[in-house]
Amino acid sequence: MPAIELDGVTKRFGDVEALRGVDMEVREGEIFGFLGPNGAGKTTTIDVLLDFVRATEGTATVLGHDAHEESRAIRERTGVLPEGFDVYERLTGRQHVEFVGEAKDADVDPDAVAERVGLAPEDFDRKAGGYSKGMKQRLVLGMALIGDPDLLILDEPSTGLDPNGARRMREIVREERERGATVFFSSHILGQVESVCDRVAILEDGEVVAVDSVEGLRDSLGAETVLTVNLAESVEGVVAAAEGVAGVESARASGATVIVQCPDDAKMDVLSAIEDAGGNVENFDSEAASLDELFAAYTEDDE
Amino acid sequence: MSDDSGTTDDGSPFAGLDRALRAQFSWYVVAKKEFQDTVRSKGLWVLSLVFLVLFVVPLLGVAFDVLGLGQVVQQLGARALISGLYLNLVTFLLPLVAMFVGYAALTGERESGSLKVLLSLPFSRRDVLVGKVVGRCAVVAVPLLTALGLTALLFVSLGAPFNAGLYGLFSLFTVGFALVMVAVAVSISAAVPSGRWSLLGNFFVYFYFTFVWNSLANGIGNLLGNQVGLGGSLRWQITLFVKLLSPTQSYKTLTNSILGSGANAERLARLGMFGRNADRGTICGDVLRGNFTTVQVQGFGNQTVPRQVCQAGQQSVPIYFSDVAVFVYLVAWIGLAAVVSYYTFDRVDL
Repeated sequence: MPAIELDGVTKRFGDVEALRGVDMEVREGEIFGFLGPNGAGKTTTIDVLLDFVRATEGTATVLGHDAHEESRAIRERTGVLPEGFDVYERLTGRQHVEFVGEAKDADVDPDAVAERVGLAPEDFDRKAGGYSKGMKQRLVLGMALIGDPDLLILDEPSTGLDPNGARRMREIVREERERGATVFFSSHILGQVESVCDRVAILEDGEVVAVDSVEGLRDSLGAETVLTVNLAESVEGVVAAAEGVAGVESARASGATVIVQCPDDAKMDVLSAIEDAGGNVENFDSEAASLDELFAAYTEDDE
Repeated sequence: MSDDSGTTDDGSPFAGLDRALRAQFSWYVVAKKEFQDTVRSKGLWVLSLVFLVLFVVPLLGVAFDVLGLGQVVQQLGARALISGLYLNLVTFLLPLVAMFVGYAALTGERESGSLKVLLSLPFSRRDVLVGKVVGRCAVVAVPLLTALGLTALLFVSLGAPFNAGLYGLFSLFTVGFALVMVAVAVSISAAVPSGRWSLLGNFFVYFYFTFVWNSLANGIGNLLGNQVGLGGSLRWQITLFVKLLSPTQSYKTLTNSILGSGANAERLARLGMFGRNADRGTICGDVLRGNFTTVQVQGFGNQTVPRQVCQAGQQSVPIYFSDVAVFVYLVAWIGLAAVVSYYTFDRVDL
C-alpha cells in the first residue's frame, strides 16, 4: 500500500487552477522529495493531503485513508511541519510539546524532543512568541515527531534554519526513515533534498513534470551541457532563437546572459543561432549540467 | 522528567478527571488550551476586574449612599439593585465583553497560521470549533461567577435584604446570556475569513440584538396586522415569539419575571415586552391566557380612577411562553450559532 496516492487531483480557486491533475505515488518507508519553484502548487498539494483544502477533482489517499473523509485517522498517524504556520505566542516550547502529547495521546519526554531538534533548554522554557523563525521551525519539527508517526509531511522544512539546523533536519529525516516512517517533504531548493531523498517529484505550474530517483534524474541528464553565453547587451529574440535549435532542452535569459541547456554537439548551432538573432557574443562557457540546472530546466523561471 | 505545568501531574486529584475528559471528549484538549492561554495572558484578571466593577461598584455606591438611593435599597435590597441597575448594565455591557472575548477565537489563529498547527493534530474541525466555544465560555463564566459570588457576599455583609433564590436565578440567567453571546461571537469568528469581518459581524449582531430586534418584531407585527390582515391573537403570538428570539429580549423578560412576585409575574413580564400601542387586552387574555379587567385605583385626593390591568386567570401562561421555554430559547442560540458556523467552517478552504 502506498503511503500517499494522488489520482488526478485538480484544485481550482475561482478562476485560478492551482493543481492540474496531479498523479503521484509515495511508497511506504521512502524519503520523497517534492520539488518545485514557489507557486508551483506544492503547498496546495500538501493542504489537500491534510484536508486544509478540498480537491476540486480527483482523489487523495494517505495511509490508506481518504484525505477528506478520514482526515482525522490520517492525522493521528502523521506528523506535520506546515508552511506559513505560527506558534502560540504565550505557550512555552515545552507547553507546545505537551499539548501535542495530549492531542495525540502519546507519552512524551519534552526534554528529549528539545534536544533532538536542537532547542536549548533555556529557550524551551520561555514563551515561543519570542522565538526566531529558525527556533519556531525546530519546535514545530519536534512537535511533528511526537508519537512516532508513520508519515512525516514537512513543507519547506529548511526555511529559516542555519546550515547546522538544516543538517540536523536531514539527520532527523534519515533517522525517521530508519525507524520505518515515510517522509514526504517539499522544497524549492534542490540541494536540500538531493542528499537525502530516495525519489523526487518535480511539480511545475500545478503539474508533475518528473518523478524519478535522484540517480535516475542524473542519468536522464546524459550528455547534457549547460551553455552560458554572455552578450554585449541584452537582445530580444535570442532565447526564442536558441530554443529553435534542434535538441535544445531549454533556454532562458538573465540580463545580457543567455543560459541554454542542450546536447554537447548542439553548442555551435546554438551560438550561431544567437548571433543570427542579433546577439553579440562576447564569450561563452559550457559545463556538464548539475542537478540544480536540471531542476531549473524543469522549472523555468518566468522572469 | 520534570513537569511543572500540572497538566500531566499524576499526583493531582484533577489528573484523573483530566484523563477522563480527554478520553471522553475529543474537543477537551482544545478547550483546555484556550482557557489556559487566557489565564497566561492575564485576560482572566482583566475580565474579573471588569465584572467586579460592573457589579460591586454600584452596590458600594448605594451602600455608602453616593447616589442618594440608600433608603430605597435598604428597604428592597438586591431586588431593587437588579431591576434598577444590573439589568440595564448587563444587557448593554455584557454582550460587548463577551464578543470582545470571542470575536478573534478562530480568525486570530487563521490569520497567524497557528490554526495550521492545530489542524495538523488529530482534531476535526468540529473539535476545534466546540473546543473554542467551550474554552472561551469558561473564560467568561469563571470571572463572571466569581464577581457574582463576591457581590452576593458583599450584600450579606452589608446587611441589605438579600433573596438568595432571586439572586441565584439572576446569576443563572446572566451567565446563560453571557455564554450565548460568547458562543455567537466565536461562531461568527469561525464563519468569516478574517478578523475584520468578525469584528464587523459581531458589532452588527450586537447592535441588532440590543437596539433593533424589538422594533423589528413590532414591525413584523404591524406588517401582519395591517398588510396581511392577520388579526386577533395570532398576530400578537407571532410578534411575541419573534421578540423572544432575541437573546437580549429573552434575558430581560426572564429577569423581569423573577423580579415580580406571585403567579402573575411571568405573564406581566411577557406583557411588559409590548409598548403602549399594542393590543394589551388581546395579549393578556388570548395570548397569555390572563384576565384583562378594569379596576378602580386611588388617584389624586379621594378620587378613584379606572385602570386596566392584567390579572392571573384560570389558566397559566402557555408553556411556549413560560419562563422555562424562554430560557430554552435563550440557550438554544448556543447550538444554533455553533451549527451554522460549523457548516461554514467545515466546508471552507483554509
